Amino acid sequence: MSNQRQASSASQVPHLSPAELSYLYTSLSLPKNPIRPDGRSPTQFRPLSAETTILPGTNGSARIGFADGTQAIVGVKAEVEKTVLAADTLDSRSLAQHGDALNREGEEGSAAVSGQGEWVQMSIEIPGYRDDDALPIFLGEMMRESLVGSVEHKDEMAGGLKARLVINKRWHWRLYIDVSLFLPLDLPVSATDIMQVLLLSQPLSYPLPLLSLTTHLALLSTKLPKLKSTGEEDPFFDDDWAAAEYLYPRSKPSSGAFHPVRPPVTLLVVSVGENVIFDPNREEISVADAVLAISITRSHDSEALKLLSIRSIDPPSRLTQPGIPNSENASMLGAAPTENPSQEEVTGVWRPRRGGIKRSVVARMIKTVLGKGGVGEEVLEGLEGVEVQ
Amino acid sequence: MPDKLITEPVSKLPDFFGEQNRCLCNKELYHFFNPFSLYCNMASLPQIAIPGQRLGPLSKYSAGPGTHVQDSFIHASIAGPVVTDAAQPKIQPKPTLRVSRVISAQDLQPQNAGASDGAKFKPRYNTLPAVESNVLARVTRVQKRQATVSILVVLDESEHLTSSQTASDNDNVASILTSAANPENHSGTDELRFQALIRKEDVRAVEKDRVVMDEMFRVGDIVRGSVISLGDQSFYYITTARNDLGVVMARSEAGNMMFPISWKEMRDPVTGTGEPRKVARPF
Amino acid sequence: MADRRRVNGPPGGTRPPVFASLQESTTGAAQRAQRQRQPAELRKIFLKTGLIPTASGSSYLEFEPSASLAAARSNPKSLIPPSSALKVACTVHGPKPLPRSAAFSPNLVLTTHVKYAPFAARKRRGHIRDASERDLGVHLETALRGAIIAERWPKSGLDITLTIIEAEDDRWWGDAPDSHDASWGMMNVLAGCITAASAAIADAHIDCLDLVSGGVAALVSDDSSKSASSVPRLMLDVDPAEHRSILSACVVAYMPARDEITEIWLKGDSSKAALEKGDVRSSHEALIDGAVDAARGANTVLSEAVTESIARSIAQA
Repeated sequence: MSNQRQASSASQVPHLSPAELSYLYTSLSLPKNPIRPDGRSPTQFRPLSAETTILPGTNGSARIGFADGTQAIVGVKAEVEKTVLAADTLDSRSLAQHGDALNREGEEGSAAVSGQGEWVQMSIEIPGYRDDDALPIFLGEMMRESLVGSVEHKDEMAGGLKARLVINKRWHWRLYIDVSLFLPLDLPVSATDIMQVLLLSQPLSYPLPLLSLTTHLALLSTKLPKLKSTGEEDPFFDDDWAAAEYLYPRSKPSSGAFHPVRPPVTLLVVSVGENVIFDPNREEISVADAVLAISITRSHDSEALKLLSIRSIDPPSRLTQPGIPNSENASMLGAAPTENPSQEEVTGVWRPRRGGIKRSVVARMIKTVLGKGGVGEEVLEGLEGVEVQ
Repeated sequence: MPDKLITEPVSKLPDFFGEQNRCLCNKELYHFFNPFSLYCNMASLPQIAIPGQRLGPLSKYSAGPGTHVQDSFIHASIAGPVVTDAAQPKIQPKPTLRVSRVISAQDLQPQNAGASDGAKFKPRYNTLPAVESNVLARVTRVQKRQATVSILVVLDESEHLTSSQTASDNDNVASILTSAANPENHSGTDELRFQALIRKEDVRAVEKDRVVMDEMFRVGDIVRGSVISLGDQSFYYITTARNDLGVVMARSEAGNMMFPISWKEMRDPVTGTGEPRKVARPF
Repeated sequence: MADRRRVNGPPGGTRPPVFASLQESTTGAAQRAQRQRQPAELRKIFLKTGLIPTASGSSYLEFEPSASLAAARSNPKSLIPPSSALKVACTVHGPKPLPRSAAFSPNLVLTTHVKYAPFAARKRRGHIRDASERDLGVHLETALRGAIIAERWPKSGLDITLTIIEAEDDRWWGDAPDSHDASWGMMNVLAGCITAASAAIADAHIDCLDLVSGGVAALVSDDSSKSASSVPRLMLDVDPAEHRSILSACVVAYMPARDEITEIWLKGDSSKAALEKGDVRSSHEALIDGAVDAARGANTVLSEAVTESIARSIAQA
């Protein structure tokens, strides 16, 4: 029960006192220039180390580690699978072919062209959570939905990732994306204790940005064997790994204006007061008014970034313990303790956040991500910079 | 046929595109929908509020249970009749607005004379047990140092016992008590009720060191107690150290309902045997 | 996770036969339902509280079935109904004590369960909640927790259970899953769940900031021709079965008295919307505003239902 509760909120119930929460909130909500506990600017990310193609047994893999020791490893595996139309779908075109089979033969069923979202499978393992707990499922659905949802209409990535998985009408690739989160062990422990620590410790911050960035890198480095067969015959592949093609094709330096299609990235954005803050750590997220996960990708046909999905996340500040103003504190002289909680806000006294967010705040958060020269571009450029092989 | 069910829809939904007004106040709707509210403007209060409805400015009223404050206006936070408790000099300079959780005929009177009983009765924010609230509880376990009870009903001082309808327990008190005192009727609802402890030193006010828990309570007894502490994560703490607190209903070993004969004994009317209890003074 | 407690039906499921001759006839059953409503017109909503006496609060919500369903019922041409409409029952249990293993909480602890009945969708659902149902539960919890005043109920828990009796379709049944095969029906289900749960919470007399209602808006493109001129249009409260493709959709949980959003879920490519001339909003903003407008429409029904339930209990008093 308690585990379930923690799982569904943005992370766990914060372990900060009301006074600490109030101090943190005040410094983060300073107009124009918030003061973050670690001195970062509002749009600055935590330093991280990244490497790709670390697992030889996968089609693509990546590892990202934060300075606090939290690490995520992602492995992408691809398998060839026979395409079956799902039992609950009825392609009217295939039925119609009974009538006028011949002149319809040229048309391909739409399912065969565009691929299915189910072909991308994602599983996330976070220590301390069962795989059917709310948090891993929520994170997995969130990342998968932007991954399969990114639809492009031109060139070789028409139909997005799903279409890329189509080999021919009868065969397709199935992509397994497996994400593992590793947590730091900051105490010297014996081997038996390690098991316990891994099971008991919770993530140090909401793991979404870490998982998303790592998945992005892993997909960037994913290669599929080169197809040697043509048309509708059973597929066979070039067994030379050097000839394998990237799942997301590399940009050709010759064509200047060409923007390569890239996997989406999900960013965690919080609003505190009037400020919009990126990559919050655990303490910052615990005082946030609102938490949004915004998935973006580079648009294929224009410079601008494209919005793929937004999800609001339950801010843990709603679960915090309120502070008690001096006027109600029984241990203060002359104050009468009241049973009824006070209704008014007292400055400097922490109150759990309640209510939602204004639309203007949502718009501002999206704008900070998507805007020209905004955080989204910065992040995508930074990820490009990671050496892939 | 489900089609038939849709007999009372909102007649017409407005075309929201043309509408510039971002803050459509639901008060306007209540002119049509709410037969009980005669006036819904700022000057006078609505008789019935629904959550989120704006009731009055904080400058004129102070906020009571069932309401919350937002931007120096009092808004309703539960659905129910709006009650104004008159101002009391010294303690409360402004009249208190509250939304009643319990619907009684008295609350439906406009501008009810809250002053008449306002002094002795303290409106509550929730239906949970609170410090100093009287509860009826059933003993579930008797140990050497403490007795575990599960709270059946929180007695509301403001209401008459007969009309008491709390949100936590919609059943009436009489039916709860009769079924609870029946030993065969111990259904699995105990985890749905709040648990409480009566510690050995809280059983009675005198001769505290001679208390033997087995001679005070038995499993299945109905106890009237007063909450002294909200306790830890799982238990409230209850005291019976007053004359009017203690066992109010109990069955004997033979299974018959007993009647009290003294402050520490109850007697079976059939077999005539007495059993020791911490007995509450009968009213 | 496999369901080992029950003897389950075949996993794939079966469907009644459809004959090719039906497909060809112009008036045949295999015709996509057409949207009869204006772009900004919502479906009618039936909402009633207090129908489940053992729960401390309950509600039942139903969307108006589309006109094509009524037509298909009166003049059946196929065994397959052309569309479905949401039906949700919601129960609220509590406030009740937290289980013994739980830690102390100064606030009301909310637990939400969303479960499709096995017969709710065209494909049979298992008895164990799957990933999409848990996902819906998280969305719903976020939406409701923003509206509840949790500190009024220390040390207690509130269980909110929603049973989807009939779900919305993700697409027209005759369509093969294609590039736009995301589960759009889920978003309608979520909007209905939010509205129903809000009514049930008000029925249980749990303190709330406001009645929170759900609304859906979507960008749809209905043109079958793949011409460049086909631009997606913004519509409120879409029934996915009525549209050829949905490019993007957004569901919000909205509190009108505060003009605040407690939950937002937007997905799909919203970059290509055609807005009216002079509209300076970006298309995702228009989408969010549309969903808010839909939620505001649902709120009129919601507040009426809550008033009706309180009036009913006053009449009994």
